[in-house]
Amino acid sequence: MKGIIFNLLEDTLVAAYGAAIWEDLLRDIGSDGVYTSLGSYDDDQVQSLVLAASRKLSQPPAEILRWFGRAAMPLLVERYPRYFEGQSSIRAFLYSVNKIIHPEVRKIYPGAIVPTFEFRDAEDGGLLMGYRSPRRFCSLVQGFVEGAAAHFGETIVFTHLKCMHNGDNACLFHIGFGGSNRGSA
Amino acid sequence: MVQPEGCDEICASYRSRYERERKSRLAAEAIAERGLQELYQKKQLLELVGSIAISANQSSSIEEALQFAIERICETTGWQVAHVYMASAGDPRQLSPTHSWYGADREGIEEFRAQSEAISFDAGKGLPGRVLSTGSPAWIADLARDDNFPRRDAALRCGFTAAFAFPVLAGTEVVAVLEFYADHGVKPDDSFLQLMGQIGAQLGRVVERRRTEEHLVHEAYHDSLTRLPNRALLLDRLAQAMSRHKRHPDSKFAILFVDIDRFKIVNDSLGHSAGDELILQAASRFSQVLREEDVLSRCYECASGERGTLARLGGDEFVVLLEDLKDTVEAAKVAIRLQKSIGAAFFIGGTQLFVSASIGIASSDTPYTFPGDVLRDADLAMYRAKASGKAQYQVFDTRMHEQAMRRLDLESNLRLAMKHREFELYYQPIVHGATGGLHGFEALLRWSRPGFGLVAPGAFIDVAEDTDIIVPLGLWALEEACSTARDWRQQFPAHTGLTMSVNLSLKQFVQPQLALDIYTILEKTGIDPALVKLEITERCTMDDTERAQTVLSQLRALGVQLSIDDFGTGFSSLSYLHRFPFQNLKVDRSFVSRIGSDPESLAIVRTIVRLARDLRLSVTAEGVETELQLERLRHLGCDYAQGYFFAKPLSRQDAENVLRYGLRSPAAFALAEH
Repeated sequence: MKGIIFNLLEDTLVAAYGAAIWEDLLRDIGSDGVYTSLGSYDDDQVQSLVLAASRKLSQPPAEILRWFGRAAMPLLVERYPRYFEGQSSIRAFLYSVNKIIHPEVRKIYPGAIVPTFEFRDAEDGGLLMGYRSPRRFCSLVQGFVEGAAAHFGETIVFTHLKCMHNGDNACLFHIGFGGSNRGSA
Repeated sequence: MVQPEGCDEICASYRSRYERERKSRLAAEAIAERGLQELYQKKQLLELVGSIAISANQSSSIEEALQFAIERICETTGWQVAHVYMASAGDPRQLSPTHSWYGADREGIEEFRAQSEAISFDAGKGLPGRVLSTGSPAWIADLARDDNFPRRDAALRCGFTAAFAFPVLAGTEVVAVLEFYADHGVKPDDSFLQLMGQIGAQLGRVVERRRTEEHLVHEAYHDSLTRLPNRALLLDRLAQAMSRHKRHPDSKFAILFVDIDRFKIVNDSLGHSAGDELILQAASRFSQVLREEDVLSRCYECASGERGTLARLGGDEFVVLLEDLKDTVEAAKVAIRLQKSIGAAFFIGGTQLFVSASIGIASSDTPYTFPGDVLRDADLAMYRAKASGKAQYQVFDTRMHEQAMRRLDLESNLRLAMKHREFELYYQPIVHGATGGLHGFEALLRWSRPGFGLVAPGAFIDVAEDTDIIVPLGLWALEEACSTARDWRQQFPAHTGLTMSVNLSLKQFVQPQLALDIYTILEKTGIDPALVKLEITERCTMDDTERAQTVLSQLRALGVQLSIDDFGTGFSSLSYLHRFPFQNLKVDRSFVSRIGSDPESLAIVRTIVRLARDLRLSVTAEGVETELQLERLRHLGCDYAQGYFFAKPLSRQDAENVLRYGLRSPAAFALAEH
């Protein structure tokens, strides 16, 4: 996992819960906390931090990840504005992830492992989105999508149709546009 | 930013320091990220240049290479639409549109595409024209504000906002311009343009390579001196003409084989560069004739004109192929015009030269299967034209081919004859004019050809000359004659001072080791050289008088006698005659045969004898057949005579009978009557 994710996690947690929480979490998992955006670190460390935060904040890890995705989005917009500038809607933005954003990410972080998403237009006008990754961060994906929707000022309904956490070999999301947010995990 | 939670000053100072450090870190990371991104893009672009260079090296056509290039450039850089303009074939200062596009399936592009494919650009006009005039890439950052862009409205309507273009350069020549469009703002970037310039140079190599190939192909089919088609291209066009004739028998063709007479003399006397110059000028005159022919045929025949190809086969040989003839008689008319064109004086290096051309014609009147056969027959007809006096033309007929075949047959039989010892010598007596007593013999060649009987030299000596068989044959004859003379001297000691005359041919005469060969024969046979008379025609002394003088002096130094043969038939150069060390002069039989009836011939012989006296040469008259002729020759004071009046050429055995019993004996007379 790239250091940028650790930095974003620190920033969002500190912003929401104060500076001490990050020190506590680092102490809990026994990490020195030296994360630079360009560095690569074990995926385990993110998992451990999420679990530690889950314990500390008395919330399921999935909920921590979803919250983190939503909260990190404004920081991403601030740090990488050009990925968002060209897009007019959350739908267009999602479609650009594979084509533009991930190739760009690879430019900055050579060797970064980025997930490839599958997209299909759903018959009801919504969007079907497939996700498959050994990290099984489907909740983080949901958080990012919801955060991005908020950036574009849109309301979406994010539904988990299939989930790797339920034994499926991939996650399948349905994203409805214009409805009320009744997301599930 | 986290709110401070009421700590003391030190704590606040640490906090602000922490914030500074954090910002520094973020700034450093941002710098590093930008650097990595730029590095990545550079690498991508270098890979782009590399892949286009590889493709350019492998593609078979420039069109293919350019299509690949615009695809790769768009895919790598995010420019959405690209189009190719090529330098016009006729005018390199103009660009013509192509149908090569990338992204031409874009929605709403139809109008822009139609305009782009309909417009040509002069230097300076529009985006492509700007690139054409400067030879450098050009960039339009905002299409809406560019006034030198004729397709602006259509471009704006399909959403384009920026454009750039770069040239494909072969050397310094713009051979194509590639233009690119995008619907988002792209800022001009010098290093990017520089890279595109490199791509343009790589693509230009394809053009340079193709030009080199075309040049090589042209070389393979053209003569390097005159730039005219060569044999290969001529045969190719002839084959096409033949197949057209096969499909449309009314479309006739003819081949004119043109050979410049006396070219070798020009080359030898004035040098090869003068020879080359003559060829160039002749080629230009022939071309002019063909151009005029073309115009003439267009004027008078309107629909189908003659089409002429002038080719050079090498040396002084040109070939004209006339196609789409209504009548092959036209070929003869062209031949006459070609000869006329070359008849006017040439000026080469300050020297005025006159040459002529011998022309052989072969045409579709003879049925042909192979182009090479047409050429061969025209060549044969040309030789016939040359042989019948220069500056002539001859139309091939099948008899020529038969004759050529017979000649070929004769040639191979001659070679075999040497091997099988089918040649023998006959000896014709030569008598003293005054007394009628025997002076000597002339050795004459006969070929005892199986199935043909005894063949006289007239039937084969020309072929022997042409094929150089004469050289070994002549030496054999000399050796044979010398050993016969030596034998007779021993057998018939009463006949002292009998001479043996032997002919030397022109080909023998030009052999560098002639004197050595003759010396060897004299030594080998042990004959007294003073008894050997070498008969040499005027021709031998004509081409190179200095060399002739040297050779004759060498021969004279061997002790043999030298006789000038067939005197009066060549272009006798009297001014040189006294400089050659001849002892004897032989009056040609053509004068002798008319000496009884034609006063002019008598006068000529009288003059020749007088000339010989003045130069202290003895005179032999050959071809004496009547008493009257003998009387007149005696009266003129002719030293020696030979001919049927005395004896025809005799076999060795018959000649020995003459030596044994005397020329006037009944036995010898009986022989003479055979």
